[in-house]
Amino acid sequence: MDQASRALLDMGQAPELYRYAPEELLPLHLEAADAVVAERRQQVPILDRRAREAGIDRISRKSDLVPLLFPHSTYKSYPTSFVEKKRWKDLARWLTTLSSDDATTVDFDGVTDEDEWVDRLRENGHFVIATSGTTGKCSFLRHSTEDRARKADAFARQLGWPFARADGSRSYFWLGPHIGVNSAMDAATLGASLWSTPDNAFFLTDERLRLTDISRLAAMRRRMADGVATPGEIAAFEKQQQARSQALYPGIDAFIDRLLDRRNEKLSISGTWAQHLLVRDRARERGIPDGAFHPESIVSAGGGIKNVALPEDYQEQVARFYGDVVRTGTYGMTEMFQLMNRCEKLRYHLPPGLLPLVLDQAGETLLNTEDVTGEVVVGRFAFVDFAITGRWSGTITSDRVEFDTGAHCLCGRPGPTILDTITRYRTDDDTIGCAGTIDGYIRGALAS
Amino acid sequence: MTALVSETPHRVRHVARGVPVSGDERSFGAGASRFVTPALDLDALVWPRSEPGPAFDTPVAEIMDVLVELGSWLERDPDGLVADALAAARRTNPLPAGVLTEAYASLGRTFTRRTMEFMIEQELGGADVLDGWRTISGTPSGREVRVRAFPARVVHVLAGNAPGVGAVSLLRAALTKGVNLFKLPSNDLYSTSLLLAGLHAVAPGHPTSRSCSAAYWRGGDAEVESVLFRPQFFDKLAAWGGEASLRSARAYVGPGFELVSFDPKTSVSLIGREAFASAESLRAAAEAAATDIMLMDQQACAASRFQYVEGSAAEADRFAAALLPRLGVARRLGSAVGNPVPADIREEVEALRDLAPYARVFGGYEGSGLVVRTEEPVDFHPENKVANVVPVDRLEDALGRINVATQSVGVYPASRKASLRDALAAAGAQRVVTLGNVPVVEAGLPHDGFYPLQRLVRWVSDEG
Repeated sequence: MDQASRALLDMGQAPELYRYAPEELLPLHLEAADAVVAERRQQVPILDRRAREAGIDRISRKSDLVPLLFPHSTYKSYPTSFVEKKRWKDLARWLTTLSSDDATTVDFDGVTDEDEWVDRLRENGHFVIATSGTTGKCSFLRHSTEDRARKADAFARQLGWPFARADGSRSYFWLGPHIGVNSAMDAATLGASLWSTPDNAFFLTDERLRLTDISRLAAMRRRMADGVATPGEIAAFEKQQQARSQALYPGIDAFIDRLLDRRNEKLSISGTWAQHLLVRDRARERGIPDGAFHPESIVSAGGGIKNVALPEDYQEQVARFYGDVVRTGTYGMTEMFQLMNRCEKLRYHLPPGLLPLVLDQAGETLLNTEDVTGEVVVGRFAFVDFAITGRWSGTITSDRVEFDTGAHCLCGRPGPTILDTITRYRTDDDTIGCAGTIDGYIRGALAS
Repeated sequence: MTALVSETPHRVRHVARGVPVSGDERSFGAGASRFVTPALDLDALVWPRSEPGPAFDTPVAEIMDVLVELGSWLERDPDGLVADALAAARRTNPLPAGVLTEAYASLGRTFTRRTMEFMIEQELGGADVLDGWRTISGTPSGREVRVRAFPARVVHVLAGNAPGVGAVSLLRAALTKGVNLFKLPSNDLYSTSLLLAGLHAVAPGHPTSRSCSAAYWRGGDAEVESVLFRPQFFDKLAAWGGEASLRSARAYVGPGFELVSFDPKTSVSLIGREAFASAESLRAAAEAAATDIMLMDQQACAASRFQYVEGSAAEADRFAAALLPRLGVARRLGSAVGNPVPADIREEVEALRDLAPYARVFGGYEGSGLVVRTEEPVDFHPENKVANVVPVDRLEDALGRINVATQSVGVYPASRKASLRDALAAAGAQRVVTLGNVPVVEAGLPHDGFYPLQRLVRWVSDEG
């Protein structure tokens, strides 16, 4: 790792993480970006081609990074058939083209599915994180073992900021699975190790969340598209899918009861909005009133509102139920190892080792250029995460952010912030064409 | 002031039972793509079921006269309305200017008498069944029976990827004499209103003109669709494009309100090993494939996307190399340099560049054509002049890739069609064409597996 990146990562130590003025960080950011791009170009051919096509020899301004950013879809750009036909070596060859180290030297003998493929890579120093796409195609992002250590370090510093420190003193309730290779599982594991001790960490299930279940969906879609799936096969598959979506729930009452039994202790509770409502409902059944939790308990909620019927005021309902507890907020994603914490004034602060870029909606023009200060720019969020060396971390998101380039946050800390108004750019633009694929002919459980 | 000019929204016209309506009461979109429409006056757009439609008893011959006039009006453009519509479309339609200009220039040719007569003869067996009651003889019961292709009430949800969609929809609608409400797509807000304005210009107050309305509302807008999509107003929903247009329509289809679906389609080419017989045959096959790929710069459903080549990977590479330059040649409905390859396709192609020998990539992203040779078809949907070449040992091996979403299958050489067509049809394909002839789309032939005129009328019998 280059010196500037290392210096940036060393900055921002607890307890006050965010204390650097942007003009102090800018030269280091550019120096680090230049060093990282120069090194990564040698390793990642796509990055090198992009740099050559854009005529970028070195990074001297933030805008030089714009043509080099990868969208998240880059990490699922492999041919689906590599998974379907168990071409693990070829899949590793693809992964290597997006990585700073060679994953093809790993021996994949005996690997039967992509979960085992990721396991095998992790055993050999390639910390691959997967994401599970709704389309049935998973993304794979490679990191080094050192990257993972840096991620754990960042989590240790950042979790709970600015309201609490993750010091192992709480009971930890994670309303989901924690074994598996995607980033939520990684967050569950890291969170448990930081907030709690093994005796006091509880997960909804110890069953492994398998990528195979997702790719099975893709394979089924393919069989239907090819016209070879039989009615009996589809019926069995749909039944299996339903069973799977309900499978997490047999033990949920006991799990929630244990959580409620400990409500007078300091807890850390993470779950989806729908799950928090389930906790509330169970509490009502037991006659537990709103606001019955230890005031230092930490409650975080998010995600999981797709395909779930929630009341319009679900956030208020959950807030009312837990009452006066600590609500931390983080903004992050699989592609990022250093998170952004929400301060008392509900704004997200950026760790020094994260270079923020705000682009126009098309993702082509940089809006938070060096000379823009003191105004709020609205656009598509992108970043370079200097904690990641196992691949090129320059990433463009689909998130629309309001980015305040002011010298100080309302909370008094220096540096730019992101307002608590993050949304997704939507693409349903009401255009209709006569061209399309067999995907439009596959419906039901498979379409979701 | 330039800022003000650029922020002037595009004005989209409605047509209420034949009469063009202007206004800016409603606004859609933002920035450069913002447009305004008149208020949506639902009462003015529909026809009461208590009375027959205006053209129910108008002779087809008279309707054809009016449509021929419309065709001539479109070619002459006496009021400059075609030029205006084209200018507006050029600012908003994603098609390259040259293709769009050519598409507008050929709108008039849709309405030739020869085409209309052929359609009616092919699809309905003659105009008698439109103008009156055709006697059916030889019924098993011995009764005297008459049938009529009776005009229907149709709401059309149009696709906007090619202006020809609106033209052919109007042609079918007019010939079948029903009442027709055209829902404009946001990617083609101008061509159908233009056609109806033309009808109003050449035959003001004519029953055919009074039988047509057009309006924009956001697809899926429940406030509009839950009111309009009812058997009290319409018999049929003629919807193009599948998922997007049917997202909400599906909820309204029921007894008395049926769906005539022009489903989304993919088209492919099958190139036999005869292509490698000589340099000349390779050149001819590549040229024919390029012609089929480039239709509307690959925005049309008939445009070929996957090229199954009978041969080895090396031969497929030879074909790919021969194909690439042909994709950079301007054609009637295809540009030499079109729009750049979209970012999502580019991402996938970038990954494939490093996966030789699994894949080989020919060409760049600037819009002059891109050919990707892979062992299996790519996961993405090729568009903007992107061809995926896939080698197969035998053309029959490609049958597994043919399904109900497959529309046109271009075959080289023509002699291979006869042995393949039944299997192609059985797998779901709807059109088998000699490679290079895909762009010749002829009205009066089956469309996506059916005769549209037959589906756009109500078949009524009078039995003795």
